[in-house]
Amino acid sequence: MVMSTQAESSKRFPVDGTAIGDVLFKEKIPVHMKHWLFAMGTTPFILFPIQIITGLMLAFYFIPSPELAYESVRHITQDVQLGFWIRGIHHWAANLMIISIFLHMMRVYFTQAYRKPRELNWIFGFILLGLTMTISFTGYSLTYNQLSYWAATVGSNMVGEVPLIGNLLLAWLRGGSDVGTNTLTRFYTLHVWVLPILITIMIALHIIVLRGHGISQPEGFPKESYNFFPGHMYKIVIVGLFLLSLLSLLAVILPPGIGDKADPVNTPLHIQPEWYFFAVFLFLKWVPLSVGLFIVGLVILVIVFWPFLEPLLSKKESQRALISYLLGSVAILTLIVFTLIETFTN
Amino acid sequence: METDQAEKRTRREFLRRMGVFGALILAMGAFLRQLLVFFSPSMKKTPTHKFLVAKVDEVPLGQAKEITIQGKPVFVVHLESGFKVFSGVCTHLGCIVKWEPNNDRFYCPCHKGVFNREGDVMEGPPPRPLDEFVVELDENLVFIQVADKRKGPWS
Repeated sequence: MVMSTQAESSKRFPVDGTAIGDVLFKEKIPVHMKHWLFAMGTTPFILFPIQIITGLMLAFYFIPSPELAYESVRHITQDVQLGFWIRGIHHWAANLMIISIFLHMMRVYFTQAYRKPRELNWIFGFILLGLTMTISFTGYSLTYNQLSYWAATVGSNMVGEVPLIGNLLLAWLRGGSDVGTNTLTRFYTLHVWVLPILITIMIALHIIVLRGHGISQPEGFPKESYNFFPGHMYKIVIVGLFLLSLLSLLAVILPPGIGDKADPVNTPLHIQPEWYFFAVFLFLKWVPLSVGLFIVGLVILVIVFWPFLEPLLSKKESQRALISYLLGSVAILTLIVFTLIETFTN
Repeated sequence: METDQAEKRTRREFLRRMGVFGALILAMGAFLRQLLVFFSPSMKKTPTHKFLVAKVDEVPLGQAKEITIQGKPVFVVHLESGFKVFSGVCTHLGCIVKWEPNNDRFYCPCHKGVFNREGDVMEGPPPRPLDEFVVELDENLVFIQVADKRKGPWS
């Protein structure tokens, strides 16, 4: 009786649930994944849906126009029931997403999980970092306070420095010669449609490639595995619950402010981007803009193609590992030191 | 694979599963509740209180009577068009205005702000007219609606 109902209904809804369940829940997870260090990649994967949900909620109240953007953010933060909380979660989840992607990248780098045949997934991951930083940039530009307005002006001006097509790109991005109504609607469309869709596609590719290869096994762990469900699922649920609590806590004790309303004829004395752009921002203060952007572009290319460059370092495996450890440590230290200098000297 | 399904579900495993997924369901429920609250527009009306401020025959036409409500001065003005009630707090920087019957005006001594008996700014720095209360006439009595002050422990 039960079987026949199932058979009958699967005629109407011709999808094999058990096959999908097997793919989703019976993945073999290597035992090293029991260490929390390896749960870093799950974090942005949980934070992204939280951003979608809270972002959707904010979109019910936010109005992307120069006259009303700031006022609607103020309205959300001060008038709407739990508005400060939803906005706070959206703000903090964006920050945590950047942090967790950095940490995940560091884990992948130092366990050399990008090595053949996983070079492509390293590149997909890096594209996800780029998209996340872009969506953060377009996001905080929407609040239309002094800092976000001038960050949008300075940030989009950098696009103008791209050789040959810079000015065209700048005009496309701003929808005019200055940051204004068209810029706001463009940033809004990018922030709520284009970038989330691109990120969703990239996450799907990232996970499909990951599942295709199987999770890379670092040295020094037994070659055993366990089912995704329930053991690993517990871990993901616990990470999710921890993140929700942390976000709620941050939203309550460190709520984002609304700042001063954007004034296009008045640049404030101290302008700074969000902290994750500090290192680049500081570097660009030291060198001429075109030289700086050239070097930043070069560094990005080296990181993107690192899985292909690393084998060229040395033929000896131990030497390769040593050099990439050193280079990685220097890069991370530089990033941290630059960020700290910018934090404490401005 | 077969052994997994055949594996006897122990009490410990059952409790663990209930704990983890129970917490998840609770958290999602609480989160959903917050989303609903955020989505619902606030329908709360500011609670107001009716205050008796004057008797109609007590204030001659063109004159004002000063009283104090909740520690702040309030002026009841009798105009041709009826009664108007203004807050006595100057809209410039919060000093208390005076009614000058001979000059037919409200005068703020701090920065020489001048308002006419309709509450409009005539001279000086005040950015907007005097704040006005909602007036209700009930036969011979003049009432105003005053928003209740709600004081939390932190305000």
